[in-house]
Amino acid sequence: MVSPDRNVIGLDTSTAGVAACALRADGRFAERVPSPESLLGRPAHARELMPALAAVMEEAELGWSDLDLVAVSRGPGSFTGVRIGVATARGLGDAHGIPVTGVVSLRALAEGAGGDAAPEGVLALIDARRGEVFAGLYGGGEELWAPAALAPEALGRRLETLAGPPLAVGDGSLRFRAVLEAAGIRVAPEDSALHAVRGLSVCRLALRAPDEPALPLYLREPDARPMA
Amino acid sequence: MILAVETSCDDTAAAVVSVRGEVLSNVVASQGLLHARYGGVVPEVAARRHLEATGPAVADALERSGVSLDEVETVAATRGPGLIGALLVGFSAAKALAAARGLPFAPVDHLHGHVVAATLEPEPIAAPYLCLVASGGHSFLARVDECATYTVLGQTLDDAAGEAFDKGARLLGLGYPGGPAIDRAARDGDPEAFAFPRSAPGDGLDLSFSGLKTSLLYRIRDMGPEQLDARRGDLAASYQRAIVDALAARTIEALEREGLERLALGGGVAANSELRERLRSECEARGVAVWVPPRELCTDNAAMIAAAARFLEPMPYPDYLSLDASARLVSAA
Ligand SMILES: [Zn+2]
Repeated sequence: MVSPDRNVIGLDTSTAGVAACALRADGRFAERVPSPESLLGRPAHARELMPALAAVMEEAELGWSDLDLVAVSRGPGSFTGVRIGVATARGLGDAHGIPVTGVVSLRALAEGAGGDAAPEGVLALIDARRGEVFAGLYGGGEELWAPAALAPEALGRRLETLAGPPLAVGDGSLRFRAVLEAAGIRVAPEDSALHAVRGLSVCRLALRAPDEPALPLYLREPDARPMA
Repeated sequence: MILAVETSCDDTAAAVVSVRGEVLSNVVASQGLLHARYGGVVPEVAARRHLEATGPAVADALERSGVSLDEVETVAATRGPGLIGALLVGFSAAKALAAARGLPFAPVDHLHGHVVAATLEPEPIAAPYLCLVASGGHSFLARVDECATYTVLGQTLDDAAGEAFDKGARLLGLGYPGGPAIDRAARDGDPEAFAFPRSAPGDGLDLSFSGLKTSLLYRIRDMGPEQLDARRGDLAASYQRAIVDALAARTIEALEREGLERLALGGGVAANSELRERLRSECEARGVAVWVPPRELCTDNAAMIAAAARFLEPMPYPDYLSLDASARLVSAA
């Protein structure tokens, strides 16, 4: 990768894990990639996020005032997780008056599993609770499906039009492996690092599309009805 | 200078307060109208709105105070109690801001904020004093001997006073929030028209409002819609009188038992005109001085969070990075 010319911090909290990356202007970076176990465990975003960010900054030998850009995963994913991530990113940005760019979590997930790992495209799946996944399909650097909340059973039918089965990654693919494999979808191995949204991917996507807003992408309305 | 953020319920608030307690700015972005459509606060709706409003509220508070970020010495934020999704927004933003500036951070108990709101300039109360905090979320009496902490002497066993107003207003068809609606309707009513219970549970200083609400429900059931229309003012006035009587009786009892000569009010219900007047006259007769902070310092706000932070030892960077917010924070005895 060419050097980014800017010091970027990137983070993701859309799954139960916490991802952080400090990418230096010279291209070197320090990163925390969530473990496959943490993706299926209990989230602790508020406790883990700032320590992870401080750790990658220190490893990358960057001070907070050296940053030029904050890159944050805007979901879809855990509502609370995404809000902690976006609130934290904006706090960091406001502290030194630097821009904060949003990145779609599913796209960042696919970015980490792109290239050689998945010539047929990447189906990025993040657990959406209530028996659904947030799904996005990416191939050749393009978004083939816009992010949507779907039942995993519905994915097989939508994929019938494709030439070959894409590689499914993400905590949603781990949770619904049996349903997906029954529909002929390949799922990356259980212990694969491809299931985590990587902070490095968030940084890179933000550098490519710096104007995307740092606003959560919920894809679902709150569970409340206005009074009649 | 202290920069404080508060997002525990449905108001997004930020403030700048000097170490001496002068309020340089006190910004509140209220979500009241947003939640009125639902008849109450919806946690997910509140959390989403907080995220949009926190950054602008902080920027606004700094601009209005004329204080730059370079002059901020401590960042404070409400840690709890409150709606966890709402708390996490302001807490995370404030923690990140403090960290990136290398500043100390003060996690604040929201209730401590209400208790010490009256210590702010220009007329700060001095300890020891009694504080009655009554709002939609809390109703309790606290003794303050030194402002860094407080002792709860009694609290509601069921509904908060503000909740009793909200539920009563709903039963009376008066809209949300209930406190101001009942206060308005009560102006044309006779507070002696109906005898509602004044519950004083146990020998301590606790409060209870659920029986009162049930009693109102039965009264309304016994009436037809026409009679309810005709007596709405009387019902509102009598209901309000019962809440004020219960709060005032416990407050006077607490002052006498504890031998305290100063009283502070806090919480949104402290804005209730009848409660203010009653406590003023009862306290005057007993030689007790009363502090009623301006309304914007009684309802949820960030200046009171900064007020509490003044009395705490803030945590130096980076000791606070792993701190979490807490829905059920209990920091006082
Ligand atoms: Zn409050």
